[in-house]
Amino acid sequence: MANRTGWSPGPADWKDDLAPITGADWSYDRAAHLLSHAGFGGTPVEIQQLADLGLERAIRSLVHYETIPNPKMRAFVESGLWDPSLNGFPESRPEATDRALKSGVSMGIDTKPDGNRPVQPVSDRFFYWLRATMLETRRLGYWWANRMVQTLHPLEQKMALLWHGHFATHENKVRDYRKMMQQIALFERGATGNLRDLTIKVAQSPAMLYFLDAQYNVKGAPNENFAREVMELFTMGVGHYSEQDVRECARAFTGWYFDNLAFKVDPAKHDAGAKTFLGRTGNFDGVDVIKIIFEQPVTAEYLAAKIYRFLVREELSPALNRKLGAVLRANNYEVKPLLTTILLSKDFYSQSSYGGHIKGPVEYLVTMMKHLGADTVPGVPDFNQSTIAMGQHLLNPPSVAGWAGGKAWITPGLLIARGNVAREVLVPDMTGFRDWNFAAGSDGVLGSRLRDGYDIGAATAVSDPSRMSTFDMVALERDEQFNTRISGYIGWQQAARKLIPTPRHAAQLDIAQMVLQGEANTTAEAVDYLLWRLLRVPTATATRDSLVEFLTQELGTDSIVRARTYMEDALRMTAHLIMSTPEYQLA
Amino acid sequence: MATRRRLSGCGVSRRDMIRIGAGGLGFGLVGGIGPVPFVLNRASLAAAAEQSGKILVVFEWFGGNDGLNTIVPYGDPMYYKHRPTIGIKERDLLKIDAQFGWHKSMRGIKHLYDEGKVAIVQGVGYDQPSFSHFTSVSFWHTAAPNSGNEYGWMGRTASALDPAGTRGNMIVNISDSQTLAVKGEHHVPLVFIDPTRFQRGVFAQEKPVLDALGAQHQPVGDAHKYVLEVSRSAAQASELVRAAWSQYPGKDNPDLRLLDLDKVAALIEAEFPTKLYYVPLRNSLFDTHVNQAAPHDRQLEYCADAVAGFFHEMHRIGRADDVVMYIHSEFGRRVPENTSLGTDHGTAQVNFVIGNGVKGGLFGTPPSLTNLVLGDNLETTTDFRQVYATLIEGWLGADAAKVLGQQFDTLKIFRA
Repeated sequence: MANRTGWSPGPADWKDDLAPITGADWSYDRAAHLLSHAGFGGTPVEIQQLADLGLERAIRSLVHYETIPNPKMRAFVESGLWDPSLNGFPESRPEATDRALKSGVSMGIDTKPDGNRPVQPVSDRFFYWLRATMLETRRLGYWWANRMVQTLHPLEQKMALLWHGHFATHENKVRDYRKMMQQIALFERGATGNLRDLTIKVAQSPAMLYFLDAQYNVKGAPNENFAREVMELFTMGVGHYSEQDVRECARAFTGWYFDNLAFKVDPAKHDAGAKTFLGRTGNFDGVDVIKIIFEQPVTAEYLAAKIYRFLVREELSPALNRKLGAVLRANNYEVKPLLTTILLSKDFYSQSSYGGHIKGPVEYLVTMMKHLGADTVPGVPDFNQSTIAMGQHLLNPPSVAGWAGGKAWITPGLLIARGNVAREVLVPDMTGFRDWNFAAGSDGVLGSRLRDGYDIGAATAVSDPSRMSTFDMVALERDEQFNTRISGYIGWQQAARKLIPTPRHAAQLDIAQMVLQGEANTTAEAVDYLLWRLLRVPTATATRDSLVEFLTQELGTDSIVRARTYMEDALRMTAHLIMSTPEYQLA
Repeated sequence: MATRRRLSGCGVSRRDMIRIGAGGLGFGLVGGIGPVPFVLNRASLAAAAEQSGKILVVFEWFGGNDGLNTIVPYGDPMYYKHRPTIGIKERDLLKIDAQFGWHKSMRGIKHLYDEGKVAIVQGVGYDQPSFSHFTSVSFWHTAAPNSGNEYGWMGRTASALDPAGTRGNMIVNISDSQTLAVKGEHHVPLVFIDPTRFQRGVFAQEKPVLDALGAQHQPVGDAHKYVLEVSRSAAQASELVRAAWSQYPGKDNPDLRLLDLDKVAALIEAEFPTKLYYVPLRNSLFDTHVNQAAPHDRQLEYCADAVAGFFHEMHRIGRADDVVMYIHSEFGRRVPENTSLGTDHGTAQVNFVIGNGVKGGLFGTPPSLTNLVLGDNLETTTDFRQVYATLIEGWLGADAAKVLGQQFDTLKIFRA
């Protein structure tokens, strides 16, 4: 067996100590700890490379990644679903069809001059874009997850994921994958840059402006949604400003809007009068108020805590939080110095930080691919379905507060879902898989009725009226101008015709080879190798023993050499079981 | 009978579960295949009632429901002054009296009201209210406004009912992540949203190892301790929930399906020993800042129909007398409409307490529409903890002062 350093957390009294560790404290295991927190883990070769750099160069390579070439990063290839007639997309189907009824055209679609359901194509058009942007966003999330696996700048991707959950917008409301694409680019570029600049850019991003109703925030009639969340969730946290501050802040943001993908200011709708905000008075605009927010010490503490909890561990003492806030503030909200301080610190390598982090679902899946040495996220199982089952839908956080994270990631149901995703990745159901991008859900029933020759009225009728919901009742009492239910189906069809299919390949793995390279000769050595490679927290002896027993029984021998020609599937099940342990959920 | 007792042996304690070993109980019962031997006879129902007794279902309408457009004070001209555009016309209301009327989408709950089973509580809130969804809902979850508590009010109620923590599955939370309200010191809440996904996919030969995943192990820290705890309860709970769901005949009920109340009905029908169910609405659908009429109409209708469908199920199952539902939001909305044909975050709101045990009618003092507070907002006339105390004491028979940390006047909304 190769010489493997064991699990070696630093002493307990390193906790809360921001003093740097020394070269003498540096080891393979510490490098593994670093990569699992500041990135998504790695193969033993990758961890060894990091260890070989030595402490300071290792951390510099993670934090100051800009000069490191990143050849596998490719631009997202769009399916071509959008066209300019969709600019100013209506907020609801009634708005879409009313536009057509009033003006004869809506979203580039004319009403029919004669005949039944003259506005049907407009209704179809509305649903086309809803389905199109939803489906393209699934592709976008998958593309992003592959970047996380393939990047040579793991901390950049990890921080981009943090900012996506922090400055949360979701496609379900934004209804435009292109604006979500802008968010990913913004979070990658600003991942470890200046937080004041990032906050300003987020506040001026079309996704956020739309998400928090900026278009309704105008002079004389401020809408407070945006102003409140900027302070409560993005910068200061609740309790550090008054309701009066919220109202004044909203006034400062009046007139901000977007046109298609560009930020705009409408001077006519901007309230240029004096505002008193957080104790300062002036004719502030949105940028001014953000700058004032960043003058508050609490902002530095709030954001430093967010970064620390995401990267290191849930538990953060008020004293350490104050110290971290001071570092961020002293560096004018530049993130890199704070990251360097954290990642070099004794606290980061202390016993409390080892296994102190519960991986999020996307992180769990990306980490799995990194651990297994795969260079892409598989197409089977579907990436989005997998992470949704585990409680995280990329580009669709549940609310503006993002994901709660930490312990909220784990419930009995979600823990079970994690094990199930591991199984689907390791032992994918290649013959039973159905691509949900091309399955119209409940709308599909209508489609098969249409294809069976029923007219629209019959196709959308419910067979057993006594079992009809009020929702269906409403659908039956439909406007004769159009039929919305059928539009859901037609819209999906139209979008799916253009959608670039997602490749549906299995994860490319060779665990047998992995175990042989790990110089395992016996099933016990194979299990120990996999546990060492996959876990950052040791598992119970009883679990380890039952894994050895399982593998031996499956292989019919305890000799890996004897079983080398047929051991892949049994090893995959072993990996599935390891990934189902409580310990695999931690980093 | 023996089978039933073992199934509702979800009443085993956490200590027992650890002793049995995760999965041990579940797999032994159903083996993952074939029908589950649920026996629903009178005797077993009686046994279940004795064991579980009264049930409280909290249905949280997250997003900030516009109470003034739910129970509409049409008799007050000020209402139409504040809401010239989105105010609901008298002719569109289902009238209660000369002052108030139901939004027409509330038909489902209004029927129950007509049967004398709905208490409407107006003006519910708390002092110095927060206008933030997340802050305000956390105040409601912990019953600690402008303060906090590590545990939720449902979790603390479970502790008051069962201080030793010997009863399993006391609390069920239908949610994709645990709601703060159910976090308890002595009881691990059962949290799930989709029963069909709530199972481990395993190959036959893997099963013995999965049972060992809950093996006793020294945690390295707080996060590890938590995951180990959840892991131990996961296998057992999943078997029980799936068994209940697979037996439940109401799965295709479209009214229930939309809002997760079908899962509650399934567990009640399967005689779960659960006393406290918490069902938060998914997505902030009541957050109607903009063009609120259409979405609010639709959302109220979905919710009211789901509630009506749920009580219909309780009646069919024979547990209607044992169940009370409590409906609230994290706040109401501002009195005057905004310029986007919507309403912004507000203060006091209307709550509903529903069930056969409830004395129907209007409770609480309706807030004035003339003397507004805190920038165009309704004054709170009933502290929400009074409603909590009423439920804890008047319905569940636990010590409300212990749960809430102080004494609150209760409302006389339960039949003697």
